[in-house]
Amino acid sequence: MDDLFAPPAYEWKRLPPGFLRIRRLSDAIGWLVLFTIPAVILLIVTDLWWLSALLWVVALVIIGLRFHFLRRSCGSWGYVEREDDLYITHGVWFRSLTAVPYGRMQLVEVESGPLERLFNLASVTLKTASPGTDARIPGLDPAEAARLRDQLTELGEAHASGL
Amino acid sequence: MSEPSSSLPAAAPFPPQPSDPGPPSDRGQPSERGVKQTERPHPLTPLIRGWVVLLAILIGFGRQLIPDGSGSEGFDGWDFRWVLVGVGAILMVAALAGFLTWYFTRYVIDDEELRIETGAIFKNSKRVPFERVQSVDIIQQLAARIFGLAELRIEVGTGDSTIKLRYLTRGQAASLRDYLLSRAHGDRVSRREPGSTVLPSALTDLGVEDQPLVTVGPQRLVGSFLLSSEFLVSIAMLIVVLVVTTAFGVVAFALAALIPLAIGLVSMIGRRVFQMFNFTLAQSARGVRVTRGLFNLTSQSIPVNRIQGVRIIQPILWRRFGWYRVDVNVLGYGSAEGSDNDTNATSVLVPAADARDLDITLSRILPGFDLSAVELHSSPRRSRWLRPFDFWTLRYGADERVVITEHGWLTHVRNLVPHAKTQSVRLSQGPIQRRLRVADVHLDITRGPVTPIAHQLDETAARELTMTQLDRARLARAADSERRPVDRTDADAHSQRTVLARFGLSESDRLGSGGESEVYALGPDRVLRVYRGTHEAAPAMIRQLTSLYSRWQGSPIGLEVPQILDGGEIAGRSFSVDRRMSGHSLSGWLRLAETGPRQLALLSYLDAAWAMQRLPSPVPGPARLLGVDAPRQFPSLAALLSDQLLRVIPQSQQRLEHDIPNVSRVWDELQEWLRDRHGEPRLVHGDFCPPNCYVSVLPDGRPVVSGVGDFSPHTLHADPMMDVAGAVIFLELEPYAAAADDARWLTGQAYARFGPELEQVISMYRLYYGFYFSNTFEFDPDTYGWCQRQLTR
Repeated sequence: MDDLFAPPAYEWKRLPPGFLRIRRLSDAIGWLVLFTIPAVILLIVTDLWWLSALLWVVALVIIGLRFHFLRRSCGSWGYVEREDDLYITHGVWFRSLTAVPYGRMQLVEVESGPLERLFNLASVTLKTASPGTDARIPGLDPAEAARLRDQLTELGEAHASGL
Repeated sequence: MSEPSSSLPAAAPFPPQPSDPGPPSDRGQPSERGVKQTERPHPLTPLIRGWVVLLAILIGFGRQLIPDGSGSEGFDGWDFRWVLVGVGAILMVAALAGFLTWYFTRYVIDDEELRIETGAIFKNSKRVPFERVQSVDIIQQLAARIFGLAELRIEVGTGDSTIKLRYLTRGQAASLRDYLLSRAHGDRVSRREPGSTVLPSALTDLGVEDQPLVTVGPQRLVGSFLLSSEFLVSIAMLIVVLVVTTAFGVVAFALAALIPLAIGLVSMIGRRVFQMFNFTLAQSARGVRVTRGLFNLTSQSIPVNRIQGVRIIQPILWRRFGWYRVDVNVLGYGSAEGSDNDTNATSVLVPAADARDLDITLSRILPGFDLSAVELHSSPRRSRWLRPFDFWTLRYGADERVVITEHGWLTHVRNLVPHAKTQSVRLSQGPIQRRLRVADVHLDITRGPVTPIAHQLDETAARELTMTQLDRARLARAADSERRPVDRTDADAHSQRTVLARFGLSESDRLGSGGESEVYALGPDRVLRVYRGTHEAAPAMIRQLTSLYSRWQGSPIGLEVPQILDGGEIAGRSFSVDRRMSGHSLSGWLRLAETGPRQLALLSYLDAAWAMQRLPSPVPGPARLLGVDAPRQFPSLAALLSDQLLRVIPQSQQRLEHDIPNVSRVWDELQEWLRDRHGEPRLVHGDFCPPNCYVSVLPDGRPVVSGVGDFSPHTLHADPMMDVAGAVIFLELEPYAAAADDARWLTGQAYARFGPELEQVISMYRLYYGFYFSNTFEFDPDTYGWCQRQLTR
């Protein structure tokens, strides 16, 4: 069923392209470092230069594949604000759809790491009294993140209910 | 020690709301009204806490002193003196620290606030709004118990650690607990309420007011422990390790594995047997109370509405004995997990219950809920590829109050979550699940042992559950807040409690409340109806209802009507004991029903409205049947209905004239039509709506309206069409999404049955009910809005 993860009567809001870029960049750096260290060691200690080259080639292939995958992965994120609740979806292989009523929010967090700041992005996390609630929207435009934070806080207050 | 409130002026009848923190500078500081007297814990506290240190030192050194053959070098005389000096020094330091901690710990618990101040160097003042209190526990460690002291623990919810007050005298701890629990429930009682304090003893911690519900004897406790999976798995591992090492002749190596296993086993016995010894679950004035313990006596009081989730588990070996364990999630209890301090609150509500105990327990913590009545759906067979060992046990279901998820074969687990406690809902699906077209639904609730997941649902069902659960949660929360009493006066709350106490009930047994009375569950087939203190003619009303209902018993209309079994007055409050109506409230049922069954039920609802007229009336001619001056007869239908309206209109006239431009014309139109309305008067319920109807599902799955309750001063001997019109009109007021569509559909059905002239009848009674309920503008804007719409159609 294709519409298992469809939004309830709304269109998903998708994340800005910067999110894909940042994920690709951090991913590429990770893989390169992972393969470069043994490759360099091999080059220094032995004279099997072709083995080092092979490692780099493998790294590039992996990065290429990951680039392809990340496009789908980043494209899978989406959120939608309804009257009473927020829906968030993500995941390609393991898909999930989280629905959080505004009245259940305990706090809203806006975060922006160094890499995220470089690309001018921020993430918004919604926390409820349950540790299981997985309501994080990464890679947002800071203006949108701020708007979302204010909006959610306001709605949270309006709908607030005791535990 | 001085009384904390003695320096305060006598408590005002309405102390300020504790949630109002006041100006920041006021917090934790002496208030302007003079220095508030704070209290210190009992002066023996440092001694008892030092006891633990002393014990640890004695054990530590004692072990060294005992010759164990491993080495001959014990302490010689010179060494030993120094050891004594060292021990003395450590003791001094510990004693000083204990004294300082005690000296700088102060607390205030009075009508205004709950505040604890601790710390000699780093001062810490913590003030907690009363409504955040989740549970209050009293723990009597062995040493404290000897001196008649106890520790008070207050769980305050997420993000905050437990507040510990140690040590207080037992009586003080108990009185503070009762007070805090009352405040946590929103009752504005005063701290010093005479006679409310019950002194617990050193042997048991049950007050005289507490009624034991479930007790677990040592036999069942030990038996259930020996048969529990936890214990058997540890034993099995122990045996496996021993057998393997013996077979290879390397028993010595086994020690490395055996020591942690043995330690685990000992702590398990401590946790499951000694701590659970003498286990009693009792009904207390404010929820349920667990008392337990062999050496350390623990008493946990949990307000029922603070229970976030319930888990019923049954290891496979318990099945033949019919035992269950019941765990609950309560905010704050979860954070204690992992640390093995054996005085911690546990989330175990009953360690080993039989089927009867389970019923009793559930009926207390989820009043009115019937576990066996919930329809459970199994996961599809194709999920066996993912869960080959327990796919047949995966089930889920929901009724109007609770979601249930079930799984497990070796240990069967049932998770119950009241809708109102759902924090968020998550739907998840992995790649294999996608192939099999199944998905999991996680219901997120607060931390604790209950983790409800509906495993491997068919995709359509999973989507349905996810999308509807939040709506259900919202409706449940709305219903809960309706049910919660707000701002009862002290006197009212007190007399209410007196009445409830006489019947062994508490606020948690409340089924619902209306304008005139509140209804409490009194066992499976009776309810207690307590009339409001402001009700002017409750005794007369009960008499009239008793005679009316008894006249109707066995009447051939095929509908269950209420029956009053007993009535009376306690503490100035009138009450009656009524037979409990069978079936569910139609209003709640409609919210969850599918379209098909819903329409069947609505047709039956229309039939029931039409059947009302066949109930016999005590008087002929148009009349009001219940109320102060009832039965009062009128010369004509128009006179009766005008009189009904004129009882209300004076209150709302101004408002109506303001909101509805041509209201006098509407009024005249209705009066004119009523004058021309003739016919044989019949019995009219007068408030025929889904909340007052009860629905049962027949064995063939057909839902029918099986009973009608709540006859009231609206009940008349008048035009039988009033209830038919009311049935259709009031359906629009139901809170479920399709109510408006259903009301339109039912109107169509009614026209088909009663002919097209019904159209005018309905439109006129719309005006009538619009006027009749217009006094709701004062307290129920939703209903008033509906009235406005009726009058401006």
